[in-house]
Amino acid sequence: MRRVEESAKGSNRMKEEALARKIKTGIQGTEITEDDVRQDIERAKKYPFTAYAVDTPYLVLAKDLLDGTGILLTAPVSYPLGGMTLKTRLDQIAFAIRVGADEINPSLNFNAVKSGDFASILDEVKRMAAAAGDDLDVIVIPQLHILTNDEKLRLCRTILEGGVCAIKTNGHGSLCRPEDVLLVRREFGDAFSIEASGGIRTTQQALDLLDAGADFIHTSTAYSVLADIGKP
Amino acid sequence: MEAGDVGKKALAAAIDHTELRVNASYGDIRRLCLEAAAYGFASVVVYPVNVPLAAQLLENTLVKVTTVVGFHSGAYTTEGKVLETNDAISKGAEEIDFVMNVGAFKGRNYELVRDEMRAIKAAAEGLVTKVILETCLLTDEEKARACEIAKEVGLDYVKTSTGFGARGATVEDVRLMRQVVGQEMGVKASGGIRTSQDAMAMLEAGASRLGTSAGVAIVEGLST
Repeated sequence: MRRVEESAKGSNRMKEEALARKIKTGIQGTEITEDDVRQDIERAKKYPFTAYAVDTPYLVLAKDLLDGTGILLTAPVSYPLGGMTLKTRLDQIAFAIRVGADEINPSLNFNAVKSGDFASILDEVKRMAAAAGDDLDVIVIPQLHILTNDEKLRLCRTILEGGVCAIKTNGHGSLCRPEDVLLVRREFGDAFSIEASGGIRTTQQALDLLDAGADFIHTSTAYSVLADIGKP
Repeated sequence: MEAGDVGKKALAAAIDHTELRVNASYGDIRRLCLEAAAYGFASVVVYPVNVPLAAQLLENTLVKVTTVVGFHSGAYTTEGKVLETNDAISKGAEEIDFVMNVGAFKGRNYELVRDEMRAIKAAAEGLVTKVILETCLLTDEEKARACEIAKEVGLDYVKTSTGFGARGATVEDVRLMRQVVGQEMGVKASGGIRTSQDAMAMLEAGASRLGTSAGVAIVEGLST
């Protein structure tokens, strides 16, 4: 009996680890202190998460704390509202390279998208990709929740044309819907690595988004997402 | 001119006409600038990406171009905020609304907060600087302390909110901020100001500038 329980426990642990490998997490926001970052990373280090994101003032600290864990460091660019200029974006990318980040999450210029100015988006994506070079993986944020289906497809096409093949679906304060992941997957096949993000708080939400075709789940509440993985 | 028109003009001159919606289009920025010129608003507030368009549209008007730096989290390095300020000014920004490093402030790193305010003031020399405190995240004691630091540094305004926090300006916050900074410094109330009544309440509490996307309705609603 005891052996059965232990084996169930072991299998739950394996399920938890398998899901944790699909999770990118982090701690970002206006009121986050250095102590918050330290405590959160100490906890995160115990799991095989794929990546961890912090705001720029804490990148150096996080790089140091994540050293040797195998967890990648993610830097924000024009995050989350996308209103920063290309010059500022390129400065932020240079900073991310300087501090040894592994990947970046640039929000695009959503006002340009909403104006149908895809030429400007194409230029922006190309120049950010060039600036990142081989030093950083670029995972752009299209904010699918504010776009029409036509805008979603045009924007994703533009992102691919600009030489970027990874997206993080939504930003802070939004909700990622499985329909959006399905739409991008159906239209573009395996051309994109899709990181579902935005309002993912539960195990079921994460599993639904992975089923819909997401490669990764980005959530700041990783432990609540892992909470129900072993439960029947 | 009717008496009501004088009141409307004075009210308009205190308003920063704001368009910071993520899903705004260039057309919204154009409308914003045309309205600002027509009503005589103090400035328009736009994202740095939209500064060149706004500056072009408002050339030869008295309306200033305000932009936001480190927006909306304020969680950017000082170096990054200074670079962003320089870039915005080179593109035509005339007033800088930057978000305080609230995380550092909460961690009691007041030196970083003070040095950052100094660095941005220096970068924006000769221009109006406003520091956004995001008061919904601060205790009254913290609001007062942040105001004292901003006053000591010599910024032009303390500003309540980004509009992306849990709530915007309150009459109580504005009153507290005015009390701490005295009469020499500006207080900008922003976030959630939708009606003429809201606007008048903020002005009565001590605000000298109002950040709102409802400027036209506020001014038009004054006499009713």
